Amino acid sequence: MLQKLDEYRYLIPKSFREGMNVEGLIYASPALIKAIENDLTLMQVANVATLPGLVGRSLAMPDAHQGYGFAIGGVAAADLQKGIVSAGGVGFDINCGVRLLRSDFRLDEVKPKLDGLLNQMFRDIPCGTGKKGIVSGLSDAELDHVLKLGAQWAVEKGYGTSEDLAHIEEGGKIPNANPDEVSKRAKERGRDQLGTLGSGNHFVEVQYVSDIFDEDAAQSFGLVIGQIVVLIHTGSRGLGHQVCTDYLEIMQEAMRKYKITIVDRQLACVPIQSPEGQSYLQAMASAANFAFANRQMITHWVRQAFERSLGSGDLKIVYDVCHNIAKEETHQVGGSSRKVLVHRKGATRAFPKHRPEIPPDYNEVGQPVLIPGSMGTCSYVLVGTEKAMEETFGSSCHGAGRAMSRHAAKKDITADELLRDLKEKGIHVRGASKSGLTEEKPGAYKDVSAVVEVVHNAGIARKVAKMVPIGVIKG
Amino acid sequence: MDSGFRILEHPADLGLEVWSPNLTEVFRLAALGLTSIIVDPASVGDRERRNVSIKGTDIENLLVRWLSEILYLYDGEGFLVSDIEIRSLHDSALEAVLNGEKADILNHKFRVDVKAVTYHQLKIVLEKDVWTARVFLDI
Repeated sequence: MLQKLDEYRYLIPKSFREGMNVEGLIYASPALIKAIENDLTLMQVANVATLPGLVGRSLAMPDAHQGYGFAIGGVAAADLQKGIVSAGGVGFDINCGVRLLRSDFRLDEVKPKLDGLLNQMFRDIPCGTGKKGIVSGLSDAELDHVLKLGAQWAVEKGYGTSEDLAHIEEGGKIPNANPDEVSKRAKERGRDQLGTLGSGNHFVEVQYVSDIFDEDAAQSFGLVIGQIVVLIHTGSRGLGHQVCTDYLEIMQEAMRKYKITIVDRQLACVPIQSPEGQSYLQAMASAANFAFANRQMITHWVRQAFERSLGSGDLKIVYDVCHNIAKEETHQVGGSSRKVLVHRKGATRAFPKHRPEIPPDYNEVGQPVLIPGSMGTCSYVLVGTEKAMEETFGSSCHGAGRAMSRHAAKKDITADELLRDLKEKGIHVRGASKSGLTEEKPGAYKDVSAVVEVVHNAGIARKVAKMVPIGVIKG
Repeated sequence: MDSGFRILEHPADLGLEVWSPNLTEVFRLAALGLTSIIVDPASVGDRERRNVSIKGTDIENLLVRWLSEILYLYDGEGFLVSDIEIRSLHDSALEAVLNGEKADILNHKFRVDVKAVTYHQLKIVLEKDVWTARVFLDI
């Protein structure tokens, strides 16, 4: 039975299912927990708790919903020496993440030229199913450079400046990447997809800052009321998806050797320190770097579109965060310092001030935590807290979280009706697929503000600013 | 006895349920069902043939590997399937001939990217002489 601990925390005791090695903990309000109880999320959080070598609790954020193996919105930390790594615990879209750019433009300056800006962005950023990237046909050697260097590769090719790298999680390059651990198939899937947005829930949004909740943090992040910002949401494309597919197979076979039994095949895992575990982490880092390079290239085209349409493309990166990743980190567990591998599957790192991992100019406030809302609602910038370090391995939510299936989303609204509704709200949309638009309609997701209120009130991230969209590019 | 497939709902993604008295037909329809999620099948011609041979550790694993192959051929090699002839299916191994053509953004009506084939609630069962397979796809 789920136990309510306080207004924002629900405990899944070890008695919830057989084989749980640790407890589960869900962050949710009474309203959000109802939505979470409606699908398989609780069972998936409990299933994760059966994996060997976990420390702390199997966690789920308030935007959690049913995923594959792990719930989306799940966080689980494994002891670096004795624990496991699970490819499914990172997910198929390795380093799917978001990047926030800030401009020097104000809302009233951009509004009259918005259509031109969106048209330019829609022309310049390859998006939608079947669309190849502008740099398609990369050689094997060049693709290996992308996988090793991440965003730095893109900067070296002229997509942005070295200044950009300081404001990306991991500096846009996870160091232990090894392209030799990435299959030929994964590379084939990635070769033509570098610098593409993709479809599904990926987007580029032009937004304005509508509210500031924390003046000091907002000032450090360079955010002011009425300012135009751009939020980019995409990941490692087919390359990352294939890495996960490949390693699910490798891990399933290797598990027998390590005598690991699991309750759901999608939870396939191996010891972190095993050859298969290390191979996966090196392949995952490579895919993550591909995603950093991808967002860096899209950033360049956004800047170019601003330059052409508005006369200045001087947009600075506020931050770039991973939503699907496993990271080696040091955390305090039960009063002692432990090295762990934190799986974040649809969750964001939310480190507080004075952590060495965050950019020096944010040292006195903490790491920006970027929370995209569903299309046509709003998005948030939060900042990491000490409490997140104590309770959630420095993690917070990652978005609104789906509440409705794609099919159900299409039932009660046509794409044209949706576009008209959004336009009435002042939101202009360019989408590669009409059916894709309705699948991503705002009502298909939970209320992002309700999700953010939970993490803010529970103290695992603090609200800094809210942004409202005026233009959307959808794949 | 009827054979067919339908799309299943998942909060974030899509699934396929496929049924037929013939297991080979279940595998064939599952692959065509997957293709129909990615692209309008009516827009895909059959100018090219490919042979594939897949081995699995069990029948369910074989289904995931088979569909992952179809997905890879599209996403990695730009080959869209229009029809399939499964030559053999036994002992968790499958051999098939795929008809199809190179993906072309101008001629094919694309629908949505499929990221991967998952093991979530995966099952293949035989009940009352009908095979039913269920598989979820990450979108």
